[in-house]
Amino acid sequence: MGGTTAFWYASRATGIVALLLLTAVLVLGILVNRQGRLPGLPRFAVTSLHRNISLLAVAFIAVHVLTAVLDTYVRIPLVSGVIPFASGYERLWLGLGAISFDLMLAMIITSLIRGHLNRILWRAIHLLAYLCWPVAFAHSIGSSRDLQHGWMLDLAVACALVVVAAAGWRLASAARQLPRAARVAAILAQHAPHGPHGSRQAHERISR
Amino acid sequence: MTMAPVNETVNEAGNETAHETVNEATGGAIRPSAAGLPRLLPLIPGVPEDLRGHLARYGRPPYRGGPGHLIQAVEQAGLTGRGGAAFPVHRKLAIVARARGRKVIVANGAESEPASHKDALLLRAAPNLVLDGLQLAAEAIGASEAYLYLHPGASPEVLRALNQRAAVGLDWLGVTIAEAPPRFLAGQESALVNRLGGGPAVPTFVPPRVTERGLGGAPTLVQNVETLAHLALIARYGPRWFRALGTAREPGSMLATVHTSDISQVVEAEIGAPLRTLVNPEGAQAVLVGGYHGTWLPVGTVSTLTLGNQALSQHGAAVGAGVIAALPADRCGLAEAARVVRYLAAESAGQCGPCLNGLPRMAAALAELAGQGHRRQVRADLERWAGLVTGRGACNHPDGTARFVRSALTVFAPEIGRHARGHCSATNRRPFLPLPDSMPISEEDWI
Repeated sequence: MGGTTAFWYASRATGIVALLLLTAVLVLGILVNRQGRLPGLPRFAVTSLHRNISLLAVAFIAVHVLTAVLDTYVRIPLVSGVIPFASGYERLWLGLGAISFDLMLAMIITSLIRGHLNRILWRAIHLLAYLCWPVAFAHSIGSSRDLQHGWMLDLAVACALVVVAAAGWRLASAARQLPRAARVAAILAQHAPHGPHGSRQAHERISR
Repeated sequence: MTMAPVNETVNEAGNETAHETVNEATGGAIRPSAAGLPRLLPLIPGVPEDLRGHLARYGRPPYRGGPGHLIQAVEQAGLTGRGGAAFPVHRKLAIVARARGRKVIVANGAESEPASHKDALLLRAAPNLVLDGLQLAAEAIGASEAYLYLHPGASPEVLRALNQRAAVGLDWLGVTIAEAPPRFLAGQESALVNRLGGGPAVPTFVPPRVTERGLGGAPTLVQNVETLAHLALIARYGPRWFRALGTAREPGSMLATVHTSDISQVVEAEIGAPLRTLVNPEGAQAVLVGGYHGTWLPVGTVSTLTLGNQALSQHGAAVGAGVIAALPADRCGLAEAARVVRYLAAESAGQCGPCLNGLPRMAAALAELAGQGHRRQVRADLERWAGLVTGRGACNHPDGTARFVRSALTVFAPEIGRHARGHCSATNRRPFLPLPDSMPISEEDWI
């Protein structure tokens, strides 16, 4: 019996960590855009974090699902990890979990083969993140007694607030976006302390 | 207008080159050409061939009477694209030929590399050869629309040739002229298709390739004008004739634009010819091969290399669209590289983050290296950014720029050290590599 208790605890713990990781992935994804950036973090660091944390999150979710299935206290069929509403236990909440996991797999697989895909298709599938996270969040709150009170609830609320704040920032920065053709000149101007012919002036200074 | 001497040289190895100055030139010897050079350029250098001269030299375009027939000959000839990517021509032809319904062919004459003049010269000197190639390729793929994509003010010779050909019924398909904006990326295949579709000349992500879904969704064959001129000759004289020049892997001849301290000229050269027959490495400090997406090579390397990707790829270089520039010893390589990278940064289409944000940063860092007493980490930053932007764009603009930057850092490493100590070895501050003055600031500049 002690073994199955360990599974149950592991499933709860990995589920909560996965929620935190997914929140981080979503927020980093929202903050990566052409013109905005996180202060103090290079763009490439943000995109790399976004990718690596998403893979880590999937690993946690795999453990989360497997341990829930292996635990014998309640009967959860393995297929209910990917097929929505296939579990008799907590049919609705586990169904939402399966839906969010499927959406995640779709995003990750299309990202891994992105070079072979039509960019519009990839982007359309990637936008499912905005559906995936709320579904995963609902699954977490609905199926986890842990998250329904105390400091864990505070944590869940904080996750939601961070996501809403990031989305708000994204919308505001979208409104500020320069038209495509004007972006390059604007960024070049930021990088040219010597004016439009910075390099030539610098060169002239030293050759004189 | 300055008249530069026109010459033809046959070097000791038997490799031939035919030169033609970029400026209109006169005079020069008439040279019979069987399999020799020039193949594309006029027999009398500098004198454009009109339709009558063209027909006398090459005869009428040998239409095959239906789609498909020419493709095998092109495959046997081993013709590769002369626009820069060196992609096997028969593969693109076959993909579009296989498709059904509406198909489009485009002759790409929007040479957008500021240091390349070979397409402009070819369109002026031998427009009928290009148009023959366009027609023959159009027949081979069963095209239903044909376009000629050119920079505004393209040579009047092309327009005259189109009219004359229409008058004598030489063409299989009517040709529409489309104008390209003066942007570095305007000739990029997907940018070209966007422009023909009425939008700005900006690249889009691949897939889909334009051969599968191009103009208005129709399979579209885009070929460089020089490629089409070679194709017109393969259609007439066959693959064996074509392979009489060049190497087994890279047959035929190619046009190259060669820049030295005294002259810029377009040369038709046999692939496999020693590079030192095209540029004299003496008096140069480094040679830029393949244009602004190309590679700086040390003089010592260049004197051992031959023209062609097989040899150049071992040094991380490629012929590209055939730009070869020997930087004179009295100039500053860092200043030249900084000017070019700033230009390339300004020509980013601004769509992909790594290119939009990374290229200006690299340009600024190179400008710092070209100045005096740069910060210690700048060189390492440049190397890192070059790695980060590579492979991260819809087109290869970041990749090509990164290649240019990395090779500059290697070849001009001693100069970087001098600049760090506040010296510069250059005695001549006049810019060497040609660059346009204007940069794009609004959507109109891309249309």
